[in-house]
Amino acid sequence: MLEIRNLTKIYEDGTLAVDNVSFTVPDGEFLIVIGLSGSGKSTLLRCINRLIDPTEGEILWNGVDLAKLEGDDLRKARRKIGMIFQHFNLVSRSSVMINILAGRLGYARTWPTLLHQFSKKDREKAWDILRRMDIEDQAMKLARELSGGQQQRVGISRALMQDPEMILADEPVASLDPVLAHSILNYLEKLNKEDKLTIICSLHYLDLVQRYATRVVGLRAGKLVYEGTREDIRKMTDEEFKSIYGEEAERITDGIEGALERSELQ
Amino acid sequence: MKSKKQQIYKPKPSLPSLVPPWLAGVLSAILPGLGQAFARQIRRGILILFSFATIIGLLVWRFRLAAPRDTGFMNIVNKAIYLQPLLTGITVVVGLLYLANIYDAVKLATIAGKPEKSKPFLIFIMLILAFFLLGWQIGQIDLYTLTTSFGDAGPALSRVLWPWSRAISFPEDTWRGIAVLETPCSDNPPPPTATLEDRPYLVVDPTCGEPTIQQATDNSGVEIIPGTTLEVKGYNFVPGVVVDLWWIDPATSQFRQRQEGQNVNVIPDENGEFTIDIIWPYRIIPPSYREGVSEWELQGRQITNVGDWEFSAEFNLAVEKMVETIFIGMMATFFGIILSLPFSFLAARNLMSANSFMLGIYYLVRLILNIIRSIEPLIWAILAVIIVGLGPWAGIIALTIHSIAALGKLYSEAIESINSGPIEAITATGANWFQIIVYGVIPQVIPPFVSFTIYRWDINIRMSTIIGLVGGGGIGYLLTQWIRVLDYRAAGIAVWFIALTVAILDYVSAAIRERFT
Repeated sequence: MLEIRNLTKIYEDGTLAVDNVSFTVPDGEFLIVIGLSGSGKSTLLRCINRLIDPTEGEILWNGVDLAKLEGDDLRKARRKIGMIFQHFNLVSRSSVMINILAGRLGYARTWPTLLHQFSKKDREKAWDILRRMDIEDQAMKLARELSGGQQQRVGISRALMQDPEMILADEPVASLDPVLAHSILNYLEKLNKEDKLTIICSLHYLDLVQRYATRVVGLRAGKLVYEGTREDIRKMTDEEFKSIYGEEAERITDGIEGALERSELQ
Repeated sequence: MKSKKQQIYKPKPSLPSLVPPWLAGVLSAILPGLGQAFARQIRRGILILFSFATIIGLLVWRFRLAAPRDTGFMNIVNKAIYLQPLLTGITVVVGLLYLANIYDAVKLATIAGKPEKSKPFLIFIMLILAFFLLGWQIGQIDLYTLTTSFGDAGPALSRVLWPWSRAISFPEDTWRGIAVLETPCSDNPPPPTATLEDRPYLVVDPTCGEPTIQQATDNSGVEIIPGTTLEVKGYNFVPGVVVDLWWIDPATSQFRQRQEGQNVNVIPDENGEFTIDIIWPYRIIPPSYREGVSEWELQGRQITNVGDWEFSAEFNLAVEKMVETIFIGMMATFFGIILSLPFSFLAARNLMSANSFMLGIYYLVRLILNIIRSIEPLIWAILAVIIVGLGPWAGIIALTIHSIAALGKLYSEAIESINSGPIEAITATGANWFQIIVYGVIPQVIPPFVSFTIYRWDINIRMSTIIGLVGGGGIGYLLTQWIRVLDYRAAGIAVWFIALTVAILDYVSAAIRERFT
């Protein structure tokens, strides 16, 4: 279980990105974080695996405060948290295989890995995951030669190599077309249901939120302004909507998509 | 800070001038800029004062330099203007600048307090003109000599541009025809030279006689008594090739037959024969060789080409040194890469900003690299020559030091400009610093590294030709020597080699860079 308590992040330039946020994510949850661009979603996700150091607050994961970890302990904790990114963050000049094996770096011994040597077990694991992600035939290509959807599947594969218990997904489908977006989120849902992984995912499109989320939190200007289930989203009132997306946002139809289009424009 | 900035761009229009316009003019006439200051344009006043003082100072210096031996104001001025007429022009411009300054002060005082603005265009133009003319005078710019004497460079230039006659040579052999003479004539003078087959020989008639003698006369002059006239006939020489006449005196020293201030030589006819009359020359001979009858030898020497052409010694040397140069550049680049790599990671801010200790290292490494880079390789070469002596090793050391600094900076900037996304992703997997470098950083920096490295190799080879000037080995060393002995053709060969190598290298490096990006 992940419990976030009074998390605050103030950047060096004084920007208050996350403002006293607290919430709890039970294991096996598919939590979706919504909010406008700049509302602090990315910062919040990166604070969880400490890519960004929080200014204050606790991040209790299975009883350990991630916010206090340093050095080896931090790296060991990170191994169990996979992360996928909006822009995939693959090493574009390395092969798909190397990109996926990189997910194993936290487990492998340092010196062999510096020469790109991985154990046979790790390599077999990588092939298994490649098969599962349907990109087996791309393994020896350079990452940059792949299409966007394929690249994101490599990104997921890399996260899976970590044997994660939780996956952080920072707007994983924002760079993809709607069809690919569904296919990627389907993968994540499968991981959530079949592998019982906890998933924390930030998203923009409320239709996707309705379809995949088991729980939703909304951020606005770094503050937690909404918490609810998938059903709550469907029944979301105008007020709740405006509390997340601002006074100027308007719901054009009853459907949430229209409202989103509008709010996205701003 | 903000209010100060506004002051620069928007002079306060609200405040009226402290003095009336005419007084502002008078003040500026006493001290340039003072009137402007009283008209509430203190910055402009200070600027005008300092520029005016600088120009006056420079002008005084130039006047004194033009007439260093004169004293007294008018003497110096007259002499300086006589020697350097341009100084008059500068003085006139400075006068105009002075007047423009007074005009500006009057105008400023008039419009102070009104929303109008006055920009000191006139002063600005006069300032630029004054500095330009001073620069012309200090730089001793002389377009007249440049254009009229341009042709003087012709001979040297043509040799440098087309030096190839120096690139080949023919193996030479010396043919000698010999005749023996004696002095004074004994009862038994040497017989005429025997006829030879295939080899040249000289026949001299008579075979004995007296050399030319110099005698002191009564009125302390010198009287020359000419020696015996000898008829020299040559046989079996190579037709059409010059024959020089040489003597070997009894003391066995060699000297050339000279007549009327010129070395005597003769060209054999188509049968390889010639006939020439010469006078037995004067020669100081040690007394011990003068006793009794002594033997002299006359030689006809002919230098002939034998066999085919071959590359000249200069050409071969240039090739050798060019190869040496390329390898100096290569080794320097090689050492530079190895030694700059660790520095480049330490000098990359995005890798070194984790904590203040690392940031401290970052600043220190940056500082060291900047200091090393700001010292020219030529100076490093001089130091290296002191340590390891002349030769390529000194050049390699100098270029290596400079390469470390230059590559360290370029590499670290390449690292700083990489995409942070992959690094973030690799960090998120729990990888340590070394693994992040190998998996997240290195794949991204390979293209710029290759590109910078090739570029550096290119620079190092060009630079190693310069390093040679101070003894750092390579072709530059030869080039300086040949230029100093005015052997422009040989120098031209070196220049051609350098140009060709650089051109080829440029092409190769472009091709390699294309492949890696």
